[in-house]
Amino acid sequence: MSRPRDNRAALVTVAAEGIVAPARCYGDPAGTAGGPPLLPGCGGVAVGVHMGDELDSWLGDHLMPGACVEDRADGQPGPGSLHLLACLGNRVRLGSGEQLGVVVGKRGGLAPGFLPPSLLAVEAPDALLERVCPGQRVIVETLGRGLLLPDHPGVCLANLSPAMLDLLPLAVRAGRLEVTVRAWFPPWAVSTGIGQDAWIGDVDIADEEALAGRSLRYGDLVGISELDSSAGRFRRPGYVSVGLVCHGPGTQDGHGPGVCILLSGPADEVTCVQGAEASLGPLLAELAVGCNSRPSDKGS
Amino acid sequence: MGTELPGGPPAAADLPTNASSLVRTRLTGLVTAASANAVVSPAGLAQVLPGQGGVLISPTLGEAATDWQSDHLEVGASVGHADPAADQALQILACVGNRAVVLDGPAASVSGMVVGKHGAVLVTFPRSALRLIGPGDQLVIEAFGAGLQITGQDQVVLHSCDPALLGWMAGGREPDGRPRIRVAALFAREAAGAGLGMSARRFNLDLDPALASRPGTGAAAALRLGDIVAVLDQDHRRERRFRAGWLAVGVLCHGRSAAGGHGVGMATLLSAPADRISLVADSEASLRAFRPEASR
Repeated sequence: MSRPRDNRAALVTVAAEGIVAPARCYGDPAGTAGGPPLLPGCGGVAVGVHMGDELDSWLGDHLMPGACVEDRADGQPGPGSLHLLACLGNRVRLGSGEQLGVVVGKRGGLAPGFLPPSLLAVEAPDALLERVCPGQRVIVETLGRGLLLPDHPGVCLANLSPAMLDLLPLAVRAGRLEVTVRAWFPPWAVSTGIGQDAWIGDVDIADEEALAGRSLRYGDLVGISELDSSAGRFRRPGYVSVGLVCHGPGTQDGHGPGVCILLSGPADEVTCVQGAEASLGPLLAELAVGCNSRPSDKGS
Repeated sequence: MGTELPGGPPAAADLPTNASSLVRTRLTGLVTAASANAVVSPAGLAQVLPGQGGVLISPTLGEAATDWQSDHLEVGASVGHADPAADQALQILACVGNRAVVLDGPAASVSGMVVGKHGAVLVTFPRSALRLIGPGDQLVIEAFGAGLQITGQDQVVLHSCDPALLGWMAGGREPDGRPRIRVAALFAREAAGAGLGMSARRFNLDLDPALASRPGTGAAAALRLGDIVAVLDQDHRRERRFRAGWLAVGVLCHGRSAAGGHGVGMATLLSAPADRISLVADSEASLRAFRPEASR
């Protein structure tokens, strides 16, 4: 048993600009007529919400931890180059140069013309989050596009920086990649986000039956059967996808906890096993606190 | 699942509704611009294909939904409004089967019919008129149907459905009172893709055409634009979602996509617990055969 080899030495780090997203409201502001209540969650800065927290411990709507960051755009931003290049584990600094934290999630991106904003979640210590304001300029040191595992050519990686790859509970057994996950979902539990590029936003798990008794946390790895995420996220028997829980439940039908896809491949090349070490929230919170002192993502 | 109905639709279905209390409003919109979609197939093939928007001269209602080199092609003229609030009203209030009239340009005063919803409201016209209509032309839609309910069927929810269309889709009632709804094809629950989580009153649900069958027989279905179809285990009362034991009925109004997780588009017309509706196989259940004026 060993870790898989990767091609991180060939990857390029690009500084991409974004802004801290404003808090936005969608839906019925009065919450009347039996509609869902209006809850915070889209954009803004969620002080005190961190990777590792139980999703159900917060009353939010698609709530992500820390600061939400988006591409700078006129009007409602789509998934721009920042969103498309950013990977989980990338370091984020304020325009002033001060380190803020690391990217730990993505959300949004249904389809052009249909979409709420495409957001990145930035995990950071509360002392910093308390000072961050919507509209503030941030720089993300994007690194991870092009990452692959040369010995596992059927496995497609997405949204993974080398730093994040190092946190994944991965093993190679008899030539096959084994990933440890907290939970395992059937394809019909997956809802909003189907049909969209795996690098844009997330997919929601929206079946109460499949979610019952799970108590998921921000940063949990989950597996989804019959989902291929190599060229868009779509149902494909014989494939599996693995992602990280990065946003909380939604108030609308067909929405639920959000999963940012990290890898997918044929089930005969990728095996998912269930285990407690698949809760990466505390490790990601630690990575965010330590990012001031880390010399580089690319070290190992 | 019932059997094939002989001789096409019934003249009038015994299905009382609240249609007499519904409001009729006139909404304007503009024909949108055409899109060239860059699309990547699951096999990694990248193509640029005619996409949504603009005016589709061919194919039209009754022609194959899947055979074209296109991505999300929309039947007829695609209509929207530049003001987001007015666009939302158009999206929510326009109903399939509603009359539309061209207001300006060389096709002014020609009548057409709303046939579906996607990012835009889709309106079809006689082909001779489609050859004269272009992006930027103004239309009015006589919106009628929002709030429609079948009397005594609280669990059956209707969206975007002109009362005349409901009467035409229905094949009367079963002896136990359940409304009979005629459908040309049935999709398995695994068919549902993009459109999940979105408002069922707007947009549509992409369905994998490989997972459609002829109701009752299980044989593969030849899907046509305008077909009335059903998808299993979908609850479309509010936003579109998976729910075992429910179903949704709608109209196929956009063509296939090469992209994974996308497919032919079904604009929602009805959703109910599966045991509250009787689906009836009818290969003639297609908007191609619907004459709204004859059904009112």
